Amino acid sequence: MQPNRPLFIWTAIFALSLFNTFFSQGFQVNFQGQKQQGMGCAGSALMQDASALFYNPGAACFASASEVNVASTPIFANVMYVDSSTQEVFRTKNPVGTPFAAYALIQSKKSHRLACGISITTPFGSTVQYEEAWIGRFAITRLAMKVFHIQPTVSFKVTDNIGVGAGFVWSPGEVELEKDLPVQFNDGTFGHAKISGTARGFGYNAGVFYNSGGFLSAGLSYRSGINMAVKTGTVEFQVPGGLEANFPNGSLTSSLPLPSVVTLGLNVKPCKNWNAVLDVNYVGWKTYDTLSFDYATNTSSLLDTKSARRYKSILAFRAGLQFAAISDESGPKLIGRIGGGFGFSPVQSGHVTPETPDADRWYGTAGLSYVFSQHFSLDASLYATKLQRADTNYETGLSGTFTTIAFCPGFGVNYKW
Amino acid sequence: MVNLMRQVYFLIVFVMLVACKPKAPENVYTAGEADFSSFTAIGDGHTGGYMDDALYRDGQENSLGTLLQRQLTLVGASDVSVPWMETGNIGVNWNGQARLLLGYKTDCLNNTSLSPLRLSPQGELSSLSTSAYNPSSKFSNFGVPGLRTIDLVSFLLGNLNFVNYNPFFARLSKDQFNFPGSGSFSTYQENVFDGGYPSFCSIYLGIEDVLPFAKSGATSNPMSPVAGLPGIGFEESLGQLCQQLHAQNVKAVIATIPNVSEWPFFNTIPYNGLKLDEDKAASLNQIYNPLGFSFVVGDNPFMIADPNAGMFGVRPALPGEKILLSAPLDSVRCYQMGSVFPFRNEFVLTLDELNEIQTRIDQFNAIIRQKAVAYGFALVEAQNFYNKLPSGFAYNGVTLSAKFVSGGVFSLDGIHLNPRGNALLANEFIKSINHSFKSNIPLINALMFNAVLFP
Repeated sequence: MQPNRPLFIWTAIFALSLFNTFFSQGFQVNFQGQKQQGMGCAGSALMQDASALFYNPGAACFASASEVNVASTPIFANVMYVDSSTQEVFRTKNPVGTPFAAYALIQSKKSHRLACGISITTPFGSTVQYEEAWIGRFAITRLAMKVFHIQPTVSFKVTDNIGVGAGFVWSPGEVELEKDLPVQFNDGTFGHAKISGTARGFGYNAGVFYNSGGFLSAGLSYRSGINMAVKTGTVEFQVPGGLEANFPNGSLTSSLPLPSVVTLGLNVKPCKNWNAVLDVNYVGWKTYDTLSFDYATNTSSLLDTKSARRYKSILAFRAGLQFAAISDESGPKLIGRIGGGFGFSPVQSGHVTPETPDADRWYGTAGLSYVFSQHFSLDASLYATKLQRADTNYETGLSGTFTTIAFCPGFGVNYKW
Repeated sequence: MVNLMRQVYFLIVFVMLVACKPKAPENVYTAGEADFSSFTAIGDGHTGGYMDDALYRDGQENSLGTLLQRQLTLVGASDVSVPWMETGNIGVNWNGQARLLLGYKTDCLNNTSLSPLRLSPQGELSSLSTSAYNPSSKFSNFGVPGLRTIDLVSFLLGNLNFVNYNPFFARLSKDQFNFPGSGSFSTYQENVFDGGYPSFCSIYLGIEDVLPFAKSGATSNPMSPVAGLPGIGFEESLGQLCQQLHAQNVKAVIATIPNVSEWPFFNTIPYNGLKLDEDKAASLNQIYNPLGFSFVVGDNPFMIADPNAGMFGVRPALPGEKILLSAPLDSVRCYQMGSVFPFRNEFVLTLDELNEIQTRIDQFNAIIRQKAVAYGFALVEAQNFYNKLPSGFAYNGVTLSAKFVSGGVFSLDGIHLNPRGNALLANEFIKSINHSFKSNIPLINALMFNAVLFP
């Protein structure tokens, strides 16, 4: 057994490709734990592993040991756009997205009441790249957004049944946005604009966890909204010489709000080898009302923009089952999982954009874990969804149907001591 | 074990990349109740691809008639046959000049800016003296610049010695430049129907029955009368064409006439574009105060000639009145045209004149609508498209408007549409055809076509 080798391979792949993530309800990505992903992405009420630092900091103090946990979930997503008037078909050529989650949880050996940990996750982001000369090229050709959440966390067991926890979230990010401009060079080629910048934001994550010690556990967690401020973005234009004065390269400011998430979760253990979990999320997308760009230098052709997004806050329901198929005296060895969920789309009619062609969605998941020893275990999961949204955007006039299919197989490694 | 896992991993990656693409719908384009197999576009320069104040090859390639027919090839139309100009794209207009393009121009105040300029000192004159007629390939685009509805049955149109001679017609006519005495002259309509009737027509006529009058500031080129025999009045000239098509079972789409005075040629110079500083306002006040007109620092209405305006025939322009783009701008900037020297009548449309033009357009349009109903033609209300332009509208992420140069729809003459504008107007024709003949013809992605090119 060479436990470190696959870990090394995966992290190498992911480090090279940067991570590009698929939008899941808005541009939220719900891939922060392989075990939860196997069960419909639910798990705030079931203490599984160090990923509790994300799902419910109040549960982390119930960990049986200290643990390191690294996982990634490559996203294979394809978007197809069928324009309603020309009936032409356009597709994305997105790079494979690789959101990841890494956790370290230290259990206090003395009190068994206190646990501390740190997590690095990528709960928001997306890379969407449309094919050359697609019909919406003047709205967007490419968006790459990366948001990291780095979260040191403390979790404390108030009684034997109740734990509380909280973490501070430091959120650095990067955004790049490109589109063609409807001004043409003498040879007919179009101008192009690229906006790029780094963003910073801060927030917190807190939770309460209740464990009856047998049949039932429950959790309530709150992840705060975070305002990702782009203070020093840059904008570069490629335009004909005769228009350079109208499109000055320079700096800009912007901001992108990340929504708060309230999760209420329930876990029941009806018999020895089974668990059933349910999470209900309330995601405060209403905060994403307007996307604005404030250019340092304005001209008659380059005005500050305010684009209506008008997202609405939404509910999402996630549920799953877990079954210990093989166990020995030390505990379960092989665990199977299945689940699914439904989420409403935060994107209202008239505001569907090519960078977030979101829709109400059903999805299904499955997962597997194998425990090699009391120290080492592997997880795998699979997430699949298909969604479709027809809309006419108020601002751009783009009118058509987006169809998205995504498969997301995930792999994770745990080491406990 | 790790090896096996890696193999499984790469297998999954492969399957994911290949297998999870959404399936495209199968497009079924149908001709519906119409037969597009032999299509002919009937019209003037707006159908034939006149733009940037000339007829030239790229304009023809992207004309309303050509774009419409190319789209109709999806439902059975044959490919376009056009009296092409030369591929050098120099082009030629009525005055023998080359087409306009955007370049740098230095004005009388020594300011250099982007401005429409002639591509070369002389236009493609040879194209006006060489026949483009080809007996073995009948034209499908009969868009002839300057063609009036009352010209349809005129025997004079191709005759060099007559006042109504139209060189753009003569070059495509089957007469092949018959000169007086060497044969008889055929009409526009005879050429269109030569060798058989088409199965489907687009008809976009009437603009040239009013536009030359408007462009002259209502000083010359009188508008076509409503009444009168074919060749004299609009109603009967259009009527005999429609009747003939109908009698031959030809289906058609016909468009009404847009309000030409809303185009950039008539709206780029504001009526109150006279900007004055203190000195200039004072000196103009000295001149005009005795006449009862006064000027202020800032924006003032231009002074225009109006024979009906009191003893001196001069008055300030009123809101809504048009200063035409034909006005010499250097004279305005440096030689006090529009202030000390009022704009001459030929550079101005007064409210009365605008009213006269609009009334005639409305009369013509009532006739066009009535013919469309009577003969079962699909009707395009062209003004519905133009109506969206003054305030601008969003089209696939681009805001298009009637603004000169930057609006993205009009060519540099401020009257004719550019390729993108033609594609958008062709879409209005397609929508109307789809609606009337229950066909399914997809619209054109207009942003694939050029707007104004910048140096």
